[in-house]
Amino acid sequence: MAVVAAAAGWLLRLRAAGAEGHWRRFRGVGLARGFLHPSATVEDAAQRRQVAHFTFQPDPEPREYGQTQKMNLFQSVTSALDNSLAKDPTAVIFGEDVAFGGVFRCTVGLRDKYGKDRVFNTPLCEQGIVGFGIGIAVTGATAIAEIQFADYIFPAFDQIVNEAAKYRYRSGDLFNCGSLTIRSPWGCVGHGALYHSQSPEAFFAHCPGIKVVIPRSPFQAKGLLLSCIEDKNPCIFFEPKILYRAAAEQVPIEPYNIPLSQAEVIQEGSDVTLVAWGTQVHVIREVASMAKEKLGVSCEVIDLRTIIPWDVDTVCKSVIKTGRLLISHEAPLTGGFASEISSTVQEECFLNLEAPISRVCGYDTPFPHIFEPFYIPDKWKCYDALRKMINY
Amino acid sequence: MDSPSLRELQQPLLESTECETPAQKPGRHELGSALREIAFAESLRGLQFLSPPLPSVSAGLGEPRPPDVEHPHRQQQQFSSLDDKPQFPGASAEFIDKLEFIQPNVISGIPIYRVMDRQGQIINPSEDPHLPKEKVLKLYKSMTLLNTMDRILYESQRQGRISFYMTNYGEEGTHVGSAAALDNTDLVFGQYREAGVLMYRDYPLELFMAQCYGNISDLGKGRQMPVHYGCKERHFVTISSPLATQIPQAVGAAYAAKRANANRVVICYFGEGAASEGDAHAGFNFAATLECPIIFFCRNNGYAISTPTSEQYRGDGIAARGPGYGIMSIRVDGNDVFAVYNATKEARRRAVAENQPFLIEAMTYRIGHHSTSDDSSAYRSVDEVNYWDKQDHPISRLRHYLLSQGWWDEEQEKAWRKQSRKKVMEAFEQAERKPKPNPNLLFSDVYQEMPAQLRKQQESLARHLQTYGEHYPLEHFDK
Repeated sequence: MAVVAAAAGWLLRLRAAGAEGHWRRFRGVGLARGFLHPSATVEDAAQRRQVAHFTFQPDPEPREYGQTQKMNLFQSVTSALDNSLAKDPTAVIFGEDVAFGGVFRCTVGLRDKYGKDRVFNTPLCEQGIVGFGIGIAVTGATAIAEIQFADYIFPAFDQIVNEAAKYRYRSGDLFNCGSLTIRSPWGCVGHGALYHSQSPEAFFAHCPGIKVVIPRSPFQAKGLLLSCIEDKNPCIFFEPKILYRAAAEQVPIEPYNIPLSQAEVIQEGSDVTLVAWGTQVHVIREVASMAKEKLGVSCEVIDLRTIIPWDVDTVCKSVIKTGRLLISHEAPLTGGFASEISSTVQEECFLNLEAPISRVCGYDTPFPHIFEPFYIPDKWKCYDALRKMINY
Repeated sequence: MDSPSLRELQQPLLESTECETPAQKPGRHELGSALREIAFAESLRGLQFLSPPLPSVSAGLGEPRPPDVEHPHRQQQQFSSLDDKPQFPGASAEFIDKLEFIQPNVISGIPIYRVMDRQGQIINPSEDPHLPKEKVLKLYKSMTLLNTMDRILYESQRQGRISFYMTNYGEEGTHVGSAAALDNTDLVFGQYREAGVLMYRDYPLELFMAQCYGNISDLGKGRQMPVHYGCKERHFVTISSPLATQIPQAVGAAYAAKRANANRVVICYFGEGAASEGDAHAGFNFAATLECPIIFFCRNNGYAISTPTSEQYRGDGIAARGPGYGIMSIRVDGNDVFAVYNATKEARRRAVAENQPFLIEAMTYRIGHHSTSDDSSAYRSVDEVNYWDKQDHPISRLRHYLLSQGWWDEEQEKAWRKQSRKKVMEAFEQAERKPKPNPNLLFSDVYQEMPAQLRKQQESLARHLQTYGEHYPLEHFDK
């Protein structure tokens, strides 16, 4: 009895400590230990609040690029930027708060290493940041601009769409700003609400002349970012902010490239094609496991990686094989990029389709705060849509 | 200083808000005596630049960085409880215990620097740049050739030969005066009314026309409306229609030039209307904070299409905004080629030497309509336009100077008019006859490489034309 009681007491203290630790991480310092004697229900609620809607799945350690190091997403970005500034003496990094390391720590250490003329803060002005970056790129130097949150990219929309995207075309290739890359944190983060959670890739998908790239992992991020920086066209690189710390894996120290406009089939299958990008890739990966386990369905999982120009061939090839397509993204349903994929696939693969193409997306609302768990296209919604497709 | 007593605070505010003459305004730099020299309106605090705020403590990533020793005005102020001086990081200023709003002065605004009077006579001989005859003739011929080309191309639009045109009437002095003061390799970002800069840099008539006609010789490959010129060789970045977008871009280019130790300045032209855009504010602020070698050249011509300056701004024009950003600024007579030249020359020298921006507001007048899509008689009187055309025109003022120097006469004037018209007409007729570029050029240069999907679209158009080609103006396009 005493042993059981002691064990129970030990367990309770452990859970209390764990919960408190979680609370401290999320609420900051200063709360007395005695203040937090969570009852069972509050504790559960607290723990449920912390569970992410996905589980990051690292890829196997890459062997072909030399020595690797465990890096999370923001560290892999720092590594890519470090490689770029080392290789390319014209490269500069600028934006709000990048000098001290950045609000997400992506530029930590770079100013000390490369100098204040190469890593510097700009005034708080997104249209200025992008316009300034275009100007640097016009001279042939490499410009790496940071927009602090993708939600704040809209003041720069004119510079991106009317200027950067059209620079080469309108000048008959006399001038271009191909050496411009814009990086920006993107996507839901659990508590970001309207203005720290957006996924605006669809706005830019409608703009010929730029490339839009979204990685799912640290290894992907470094290779894709390096490709964007070296690409001779202006690129926007969205970084899933929820993965900055949550995603960690072995990443090569030396530079390497992952090609743009190439989707990756990360898991082969025969019954359904699942397409996503960024954080959502991990959601659909899990959905694929659930489908296998509960329905005996074999899913082919594709990470699109580049939104425009997108890899139509890989997706269509897959749908021709499976006959079913499910596309999922956090951004709102109407006009989201899934509509472009869906429309093209039904044009190219109409007779191969066994069921209507399914889109599992955010609702047509601004991104809510407290309702985030209901808003996001989580694995249950994806699983349910998949189930309906199979039974069509 | 005693803190104000309650009684003082209760005094009616009117006492503190009387209009003050410029001489009494605290801190306002006295410019009257400086008119003799090339005068740049200093910031409101004189030569001293506003000290930027203290570097912010990095958020939880370790100690604050040590003070910037290379920037004396960035050194941290020592805190002392004995000091009653302000310690705010945001401004370098003294306390004042009198409530007083600064009155903006638009009645006697920033004075307008000029070298010649309206009759082309040098006012102060020490300001005469004493340009050699050849250079002054080049200035004159560039302006007049531009004027001739403008007349003919405006007409050609009226006749339906080209789709659109914008003339430069009245502003030729701002173009050539500034262009002549730059190095040939200085990068130019324009708005759309700066063709004289290209003219001065010897851009051939054939290429002006080719762009307006969108013919096979157009280096821009027929993609843009007329007057959207660009020339890599002559360092003139291709014009785009959205206004003021070039301003922050020019700043970025200047920053890159600084890093490259290129000894180049970037010049950025824009109108007083475009200066209202957010991009202008962005560009000015970035140029100042990032210390860029750039000349901001504002052509204040009185109108943005139909909108007069009284509806564009309420302050003292564009020049007065410069000091607000910490930018050296000057206002000049834009119809006085030598004033424009002198100001640009000095701005260039200092911008490159000191890595700081300069703002030149060139006052002028848009004699022509905004474009061929505009009839300005709808919003201004013919008398007003005539005044500028007859009494204060950059071309006539320079001609008077040339005549007084004995470098030009009536005969040469007649011969040149005939010759320039002939040159323009020849280029014009040639441009008319050339075909347009191959429709395949619709698809290239979107990216450096053509994406697969776009190539499919290109092939789809080719197939479409095979069947339906008769409904398209293929005969005018290169095969």
